[in-house]
Amino acid sequence: MTALIAAQLRDRRRALLAWGLPLGLMAGFEVSIFPSIEDAIGKAVRDYPQALKEAFGIVELTTVEQYLNAEMLSLIVPLAVGYLAARSIASGLSGAAESGRLDVILSAPVSRRRLVAAGFAATAVELAEVLAVTLALTLLASVLVGGGLSFGSALAGFANVWPLALLFAALGIVVTGFTLRTAIVTGAVAGALVAMYVADLVGRLDPSLDWVRYASVFRYYGKAIEDGVDPLSFVGVTAVAVAVAALGAWLFERRDLTS
Amino acid sequence: MAAIETERLTKRYGSARGIEDVTIAVEEGEVFGFLGPNGAGKTTTIRTLLDLLHPTGGSARVFGLDSQRDSVAIRARLGNLPGDFGFGKHVSGREALRQLARLRGIDGRERAEELARRFRADLERPLGELSRGNRQKVGLILAVFHRPELLILDEPTSGLDPLMQEEFLALVREERERGCAVFLSSHELDEVERVCDRVGIIRGGRVIAVERVDELLDKTGRRVEVELAAPVDPEELRRLPGVGEVEVDGARARFRVSGDVDPVVKAIAAHHVVDLEFARPTLEEVFLTYYEEGQPEGGGR
Repeated sequence: MTALIAAQLRDRRRALLAWGLPLGLMAGFEVSIFPSIEDAIGKAVRDYPQALKEAFGIVELTTVEQYLNAEMLSLIVPLAVGYLAARSIASGLSGAAESGRLDVILSAPVSRRRLVAAGFAATAVELAEVLAVTLALTLLASVLVGGGLSFGSALAGFANVWPLALLFAALGIVVTGFTLRTAIVTGAVAGALVAMYVADLVGRLDPSLDWVRYASVFRYYGKAIEDGVDPLSFVGVTAVAVAVAALGAWLFERRDLTS
Repeated sequence: MAAIETERLTKRYGSARGIEDVTIAVEEGEVFGFLGPNGAGKTTTIRTLLDLLHPTGGSARVFGLDSQRDSVAIRARLGNLPGDFGFGKHVSGREALRQLARLRGIDGRERAEELARRFRADLERPLGELSRGNRQKVGLILAVFHRPELLILDEPTSGLDPLMQEEFLALVREERERGCAVFLSSHELDEVERVCDRVGIIRGGRVIAVERVDELLDKTGRRVEVELAAPVDPEELRRLPGVGEVEVDGARARFRVSGDVDPVVKAIAAHHVVDLEFARPTLEEVFLTYYEEGQPEGGGR
């Protein structure tokens, strides 16, 4: 199992820089400009329509944590890291099937279930690493410009993205139970990611459609950078992700691996 | 105990044909050729044995173990070279080898290096930068470096140059000497003839015959084309044992001979021979031989 995880992580080393660096630089930029726009942005937000503020979970933007949440953690980071999760799981399973690698690996004494579990675990580690790099660069920028970003709050904010993204990795495994085409797996999960985000947004904009939010993992995402991590949501979403991944492994085990 | 034993193994893809009622047995220490044209069902049979495809009927046992239920235990004892070997474009042969060795829980570096030298395989460059033949060499090393008890090779020599094909056939013989069973799929009769003990012929998803290679060759015979200094008497040729399909055009004669070729050679030698050619029949001619004989479908041991 560790050999499989290590092999997958080795293949994905580039993702750390390809995803962690731009996200970290972007978040760092937002944190570094906040002191200079703090007054103007605070005033502008007070004039925003109430519905818009509720939709994006903005009460006011008077602290760097609130600003980082509005600019990065409410949309860009969860969508980007969720997409990375889909992409990683797809390349590890359907991509391996397309390249012929799966045939070679499954010539060794490795069960399909272990292969899927290793892919899921490697993706979980990869997501944590990307989020850690993003967090580190954000904190570094804050320290350099004296932005005053709280380490604990930032850690909570970025850590909260992890179970959410993990759920999309798990959904990717389920899709590989039906198709081994990487583009379809990635596209289907990316579609689910956007659909869930929109469902949550619509539910928040229109209280009569609040029930729609139950179909979206974003309902349980919250604003951890401001409110701290909700342990129940964190553990609950992680548990659901693991259960969905187990379902995906079951489907993957039963399907034909066509060349 | 048979290394491989299938009983009416069937795989259908919806309404499309895969393989139908394939019954074969490969003994330990035997090189078994699996001969058929492209699309005949060779790869489907192999992928079903490896549990990459789930059969829709029948059963397959490897070393007496169920190919589906005990697939992990089976794969610990076999080596497999897929028809179109790949491991990702950016991975080098050495990295692929390192990963596979870890999965098998062995080192195997010494044997892999020895094989790499023998096949002049480049283990350093990314596989995506290698030609098909050079990639195939890496695949071959990955299939045999752990000294498996069963070697499954799907069209193994495709892309290899003639020298490397020779080296490959020598390796297969060595593996047999070691006691390894080899299941070799091919559409090259010549390759099968040179290295296999027995051969199964598959066409249209069905095994139409399983024969010892010498019996297969006796049955299918050779095509002979001879040019003499003087016109040939066709009756003289037709009277020879095992000779058929005689066509004579002046001093040139074409015919087919099965079984012992000695009487034919001696009869021809009595004349002034200008040119003489013995050739193996094509795969299609082999199939026709079996169809004409009305061999039962489903094959056998």
